[in-house]
Amino acid sequence: MLKWYQETENQHDVFVASRIRLVRNLTHCPFPVKLSGEERKKLAEKLEEGLKDIGSVCRKDFRRISLSAAGGTEREALRERRAIGAAGAAEEGMESLLLSEDETVSITLAGDDHVRLQCMSGQAELSRLWEEADRLDDYINERFPYAFHEKYGYLTAYPTNVGTGLRAAVTLHLPMLSAGKRFGKLVAEIGRFGVAVRGVYGDGNETYGSLYEISNQKTLGVTEEEVITLVKQMADRLAASERKMKSVTLKSHRTDMEDEIFKSYGVLRYARKLNLKEAMTYLSQVRAGEMEGLLQFKEPVNICRLMTEIQPANIRMLVPEEEENDLNQARAAYIRKLLPELV
Amino acid sequence: MLCEKCKMREANIRYTEVVGGVKTEYNLCSHCAREMDFGHYSAVFDTDYPIGKLLAGLFGLDADGGENDEFDVNQVTCPTCHTAYSDFVKDSRFGCPDCYRVFDLLMSENIKKVQGSDTHTGKRPLYNREGGQEGAGEDEETRLLKSIEILDSRLKEAVQEEEYEAAARYRDEIRELKERLGEHA
Repeated sequence: MLKWYQETENQHDVFVASRIRLVRNLTHCPFPVKLSGEERKKLAEKLEEGLKDIGSVCRKDFRRISLSAAGGTEREALRERRAIGAAGAAEEGMESLLLSEDETVSITLAGDDHVRLQCMSGQAELSRLWEEADRLDDYINERFPYAFHEKYGYLTAYPTNVGTGLRAAVTLHLPMLSAGKRFGKLVAEIGRFGVAVRGVYGDGNETYGSLYEISNQKTLGVTEEEVITLVKQMADRLAASERKMKSVTLKSHRTDMEDEIFKSYGVLRYARKLNLKEAMTYLSQVRAGEMEGLLQFKEPVNICRLMTEIQPANIRMLVPEEEENDLNQARAAYIRKLLPELV
Repeated sequence: MLCEKCKMREANIRYTEVVGGVKTEYNLCSHCAREMDFGHYSAVFDTDYPIGKLLAGLFGLDADGGENDEFDVNQVTCPTCHTAYSDFVKDSRFGCPDCYRVFDLLMSENIKKVQGSDTHTGKRPLYNREGGQEGAGEDEETRLLKSIEILDSRLKEAVQEEEYEAAARYRDEIRELKERLGEHA
């Protein structure tokens, strides 16, 4: 079965993914940070047992992954695919994950909070994801009463999640906008509306591949619908600016743009070694070219899939251990295998 | 262990009293210990006599004692998970759902600053009544929970204002309501 980021149907030029995340905690139980390893394990087992039929709610098959037993690379690979948060990947604590086969639904148990429920998809469809998360949330709540406060709403380990416990996020591909000088200013301006913009992949301050995630910062005093509307509006505004810039550039500098895109394709097609930054930069160019119809592939491909699967931990999972010493070589080989020929 | 009088700070003084063969034990924080009547031993906490000062130092009292000492919010501790307010400030992370009740007065302003609001308006849990009974029983339970919450915040205000008599009254009322709640569940 294809994972959500491998789908090639209905790809959009700017909208790459949508994500809804809910944080919930049970009543009468300290947050995982205050539990011993043994207690965390018991809590995770109790939750797993209660949620073993969760697949029936969204008609999906789930598998259980014990994150404490999984190696660091596997956890990191899950984080790169955005099935778990940074906390789940880094910490050496007991924590378990229920992951649907297509990796759209992931439920992390006994991480920072008791339950972290996330629904993802490769389409711009926050409202549908919220409906799905809402249903799953009710299913969990039917089995486990939640810690809820009349004034503060759903109680969470961090005060930045309290209230709705909701993070609504949209991932956008912004190659034109992010290359512009005014991008930093634009991000700051959007921040004033209570929306954060951050790079999805990268290294410290630098973002690779021009993928940006737009998400709400506030979780208290706003309804779920208001949060989703806000994030949608901001994402739409950014997408509109990106498109405008692209059409202007295409008109004024078409040959320059084509040149860059075809050069990028050439490098990806024939390179024998690619580091993460190079690969992400060229893939971003190729994606922009494909979406504008400048590049036409013989077979359908999802460039964002490649961007996800060439991240360090995911590449390491793909290659046998003896070849692990050169990830750049493995990365180039993997891209050559998946990138189709031009028409 | 928490001080059994204010139930907010860690107890650091154990006072054992034997009257007519009946032994009573108190576990108190230094703040409440000063308020208590220890008969002629009270002098230990007030006197200028050097040994008094020495003992007071051991107990964690201010050597000069008196009225001017300030209520230290950093010592407020959640009775369920033993997270002190200072821990919360350090990690910006709560230890358990009860921390929200305990630190409510101390942090509600900060939450407002971070979140722009301090009142939840979104979704509410559908199935949060353990036992799942609907109808009159549920209303009664909700009512009791609400009154407990109101009394709780009054209790904390009273403790902050150092009105311990009022605080004791609220505490007893809360205990009574909780018993009634227990019968309902």
